[in-house]
Amino acid sequence: MSEYIGKARLNQKQAAVVLLLPFLCAYFAFLIYPFLRGIWISLHDWNLLAVAFNPDAKEFVGLKNYVRVMWGKDITWTLYHSPILQSIAIAGAIMALWVKSTYRMRATFVWLIILICAVLFIASGFHPGEGGRWYDRRFWPIVVNTITFVGVTVPCVTGVALILAAALNRETRSMAILRTLFFLSNVLSVTVVTLIWQIMFSPRQGLIANVMDVFGGSPIVWLTDMQFAMVAIVITTVWWSLGIAMILFLAGLQDISNDLYEAGALDNATGIKAFWFITLPNLKRTITLVVVLQIILHFQVFGQVHLMTNGGPNDGTQVLVRYIYQTGFRDSELGRAAAMAVFLFVIMSAFSFVQFMIGREQE
Amino acid sequence: MTRQSGYYTLITMLSIPAFVWLIPTLWMVSLSFQPNDVLARTTSSTALGMVPIPFTFDNYLDLFAFGHTPIWFWNSIIVALGMTLGVLAVSTTAGYALARLQFPFKATLTFLCLIGLMIPEQAVFIPLYTMFADFGWHNSYHALILPRLAVPIGVFLMMQFFKGISKDIEEAARIEGVGWLKIFWFVMLPLARPAMITLAILTFLYSWNDYLWPLVSAQKRDFFTITLGLASLQSNFAQSEGLGRIMASGVIASLPVVILFLVFQRYVVRAMSVGGSKG
Repeated sequence: MSEYIGKARLNQKQAAVVLLLPFLCAYFAFLIYPFLRGIWISLHDWNLLAVAFNPDAKEFVGLKNYVRVMWGKDITWTLYHSPILQSIAIAGAIMALWVKSTYRMRATFVWLIILICAVLFIASGFHPGEGGRWYDRRFWPIVVNTITFVGVTVPCVTGVALILAAALNRETRSMAILRTLFFLSNVLSVTVVTLIWQIMFSPRQGLIANVMDVFGGSPIVWLTDMQFAMVAIVITTVWWSLGIAMILFLAGLQDISNDLYEAGALDNATGIKAFWFITLPNLKRTITLVVVLQIILHFQVFGQVHLMTNGGPNDGTQVLVRYIYQTGFRDSELGRAAAMAVFLFVIMSAFSFVQFMIGREQE
Repeated sequence: MTRQSGYYTLITMLSIPAFVWLIPTLWMVSLSFQPNDVLARTTSSTALGMVPIPFTFDNYLDLFAFGHTPIWFWNSIIVALGMTLGVLAVSTTAGYALARLQFPFKATLTFLCLIGLMIPEQAVFIPLYTMFADFGWHNSYHALILPRLAVPIGVFLMMQFFKGISKDIEEAARIEGVGWLKIFWFVMLPLARPAMITLAILTFLYSWNDYLWPLVSAQKRDFFTITLGLASLQSNFAQSEGLGRIMASGVIASLPVVILFLVFQRYVVRAMSVGGSKG
């Protein structure tokens, strides 16, 4: 290509450098470098306060932090140690195979999901043998809490959002207003959401308690009850994040041709039948995308738990990101916290990769 | 005929859950207009507390008379606007270069930026904290703004947009002898306005609602954002401030994003689905 045309002072390469430089500086300084530095910190015994006063107070310990977080004394493996998680893993793998056979998906993508399921299956078989124990008793229960939270929230949000989107998929004024109402809570910040729901759930002042009082029920101590605390967090999260899933479904619905419904109507497929036999099969890809997006989003849950239950009662709602935050900033153990953050990244990147593959399929 | 009536049944059936969805928000607004001493006794004065009777403006007046809320609000405005301008600047330039200019290692560089989408904030906040602590940057506006400039989502949004613009305009300008930077500034940027509005709204919402990074970085109350400040009020609930006043803070904290949402609804929905589907 010809450079230097007319009065142009910069050729194409120079212009590219000038235009790219600001972003690249920020990108390497505040994302790539911190990411690599995080891995480096995770290989050290690194106390936040000690290192702040004396930069040499850290000690290289190799993978010891990972061992201290994830491993234990006398760990053994049995096939069916945690039936629920292992069943979920098997179900996930079967579903991936089913998805593969019903609509053409890139094989690598399906294998990736099966790989994730296999890792989950194998990992949940490990447990301390007789006389053994985890070095960190809290870590794995917290990971299980996080997975449980994701496992309950994602199907709830997806199901409700899908039904709402199908019902609201009409270009009329009233429908637009209803869509707005459902979406409104989505733009609120996590602290406003927890502010509202903390009082909603309050046994003495809460709206839920007030309503139950009218019907003569006794108030539930939502946020400090072992049974209800996680339920309360899930309700709050579903209320907060329903809108975005609904919007993504509405976008997916726009792509389904009207001809299909007209053809279906000839075969007497209207209403629920049309939803089941026309909408759902054509929306599979969007559903997969929404599910993966939400797994990524909700696996990083922090604010709701941090502000509503403090991870309590008795670690019942403690989740991974909050544990990382606590280990790093309350216990000052940055090395261990960074090791957990790397663990989080590995899980997230697997799902991000799945998301990336779906995105590629769509284009 | 049956179709019409079916439609109205559907509207009625959907109105009920839609109203239930709105109740928590309405309740917050209603409580913010009730006197604190009444709320200390009961939150269900009139219609389970959904109607603000007895009514008062005092909570809002108190909010701006004393306490940190005005400072936090101001901090949020500065940080959100600063972040939005910064992200727009680095994203439009880099997005244009990656979409339209030819240079060595372009594919590699694009791929390298794509990797950044996979790194969640939660995986880098600890090293970022130590870095910024080494620089002595914490408790400042730039500490709250800078980390977001590195997130490549804006670059990808702009890159997609610029790729879609016809090459004819650019080539006509090239033949006239206009330089690349001038083409970018005078030809491309005006065309990119819709994408820029989307990106600006996405960034503003993110900044206004961000919690984890401000929680880690801003320790002095004077540098709290409103989102963070509201969290600090919640931890000592009901004791000092009074329920009505905390709720008033919540309403004030939500007002800018709710107004933004209602005015630019189409763009907000687009921005959030782009933000949602690309990380």
